[in-house]
Amino acid sequence: MQTRSSTYLNEAVAIWFRDLRSEFRTRYALNAILMFAVTTLIAVSFSIGSFRIEEAERPFLYSVLLWIILTFSALSGLSRSFVKEEEAGTIDVLKLSARPQAVFFGKLLFNLTLLGALELIIVPSFIFLMAYQINFPGFFVAMIISGGLGLGAGTTIIAAMIARASTRGALFSVLSLPLLLPLMITCIKGCERAAIGIHSAGWPEVKIAVAYVIIMVVMSLFLFPLIWEE
Amino acid sequence: MFTLKVSGIGKHYGETLVFKNISFQLNQGDVLAITGWNGSGKSTLLRIIAGLVKPSTGRVEMFFNADPIPKESRRRFIGMVAPALSLYDELTGLESIEFFCRVRGLACNRNDCLNIIELVGLAEHATKMGREYSSGMKQRLKLAQALLHKPPLLLLDEPATNLDSKGIDVLEQIISNQRQSGMTVIASNEKREADYADTVINLSE
Amino acid sequence: MIFKLLLTMWMAVIIVAAFFYAGTAAGFPGQTSRILFFHVPQAWIATLAFLISMIASALYLAKRKVETDYVAQSAAELGFLFCVLATVTGSIFAKATWGSFWNWDPRQTSIVILLMIYGAYFALRSAVSDPERSRVFAGVYSILAFATVPFLVFIVPRITASLHPEDTMSPVNPGMDPKTLKVFLGSLLAYTGLFIWMLRLRIRLLRLKGLRVRDLYHEPDNE
Repeated sequence: MQTRSSTYLNEAVAIWFRDLRSEFRTRYALNAILMFAVTTLIAVSFSIGSFRIEEAERPFLYSVLLWIILTFSALSGLSRSFVKEEEAGTIDVLKLSARPQAVFFGKLLFNLTLLGALELIIVPSFIFLMAYQINFPGFFVAMIISGGLGLGAGTTIIAAMIARASTRGALFSVLSLPLLLPLMITCIKGCERAAIGIHSAGWPEVKIAVAYVIIMVVMSLFLFPLIWEE
Repeated sequence: MFTLKVSGIGKHYGETLVFKNISFQLNQGDVLAITGWNGSGKSTLLRIIAGLVKPSTGRVEMFFNADPIPKESRRRFIGMVAPALSLYDELTGLESIEFFCRVRGLACNRNDCLNIIELVGLAEHATKMGREYSSGMKQRLKLAQALLHKPPLLLLDEPATNLDSKGIDVLEQIISNQRQSGMTVIASNEKREADYADTVINLSE
Repeated sequence: MIFKLLLTMWMAVIIVAAFFYAGTAAGFPGQTSRILFFHVPQAWIATLAFLISMIASALYLAKRKVETDYVAQSAAELGFLFCVLATVTGSIFAKATWGSFWNWDPRQTSIVILLMIYGAYFALRSAVSDPERSRVFAGVYSILAFATVPFLVFIVPRITASLHPEDTMSPVNPGMDPKTLKVFLGSLLAYTGLFIWMLRLRIRLLRLKGLRVRDLYHEPDNE
């Protein structure tokens, strides 16, 4: 019989590291996400270029394009970690060994790692290719980071659900987008302001995104065990 | 002292009845075999006991020193091997075992993990990737995973599958050790596996 | 049976009254203000239905009584139906008064998000084959979706700048014409009656579908 000497965090980190190790060896999720993102970015950049859009319109339209690329790329791969457990038949053994909250946090950390890698590659490339001028870089970076956290927080529990569903392909996006819409619109607005350089007191959009992250994570912690044990 | 009590378990999927009204109680040292034709629900019954599937009727209870064990802490008392329970292909045997140690919150170091791998006879293959394992080696690794936390309840679904004669010896050793520390439920069609048991429940009858 | 007959007659009376008894409100072109008697009750029923569905979902997750899930599912379906009706009648009004069927008015924005959420809810239900799992997932999704609703307040900040008529046609407005108010309240009653009748029908249908499977074995349900 086992004696419990560890915390949820230790167990979550164990799951996170295991996912990272598998991902490092197979690169299934990251390849899907990055290829999607790079292809879309190239298509956008090629067809719009850096001068097609009027200078006054750029902060807003570029921000829209950036978040559409980020959100849809994320949706192309964030369900992988759960779906793979289901497909490889390892989900039951994970259920028998790990506490549900630890599983959720481990998978959330893994998805956030993927999102971090995605943003680290795509955002600078986007700025470079589109000549996106940002007058308030601190705010912009905070928006990108909090938005990334929000994408992970809003989709991880959905990924756990669609892993148990019979039709997975489009379902992940169909279920995630309505929940992500408030976040997306907030992030677009925030990045637009950062690009223009409006010094709004207290960065309200970042605060909204952080509040979104907190609410989604807390709700998921309550609801995830119901899904996991079903 | 650990006890398992199964009362009035039945399962149907949609309108198809798999089995109904299965009841038994197991105490320390017991070995139970569940037999039956293909599709009679042996694996399903084991999955119900493990808590992976909900029964349509009846309930599974576990007691530790007569105190009921709530569902959410049962995973500490159960070790399970089944054809449908796969381990990670992208990890080496040792990494798999270390992962399950950590995720179960066990205080075990690399040596403890190597010991259990040696117990199932995989010492030379500990650093091979899961996908390079033969089916028999995979089965041995599954046994190691199930024994890791020294569970009082061992659920074995066709445990001898793919095992060679040395593997069978290991399995027999595990079952006889388990008689001292807990109980075993074996689901199988093979007479040899059913012979390890003191009691047999036939789901086809 | 009596309830159905009374309801039919009442609805007929309301429809006639809406066009011939009540007057038109000042400040609206032509006969457009008569949409009030249909659009507002539809929107109200949609809101009520989604609220019922949410509460029933939470109850189902807590108690796992199949019956509460029937309520959640039926109410969501009817909510979706009335939401579509309210959107259609709303955009007819929008065309007549604002000049275009669709212009991303805050009301229209939030209704689209609502329709997206419940569209996804039905997609989820049909994608999960195990009935109990499908109920749990649907309940979880509906609560998650509800948790994101407060954020709509932030992303639709121009709610005050909406073109949507609030004061002139609000039932709580003391300035409302007494005849209009009478017909409006009557219509609200008719729509609520219609909703209750449809909801009960739908729940009964789901219950019958569920019974067929369980009765086969003459065994009491576990949960």
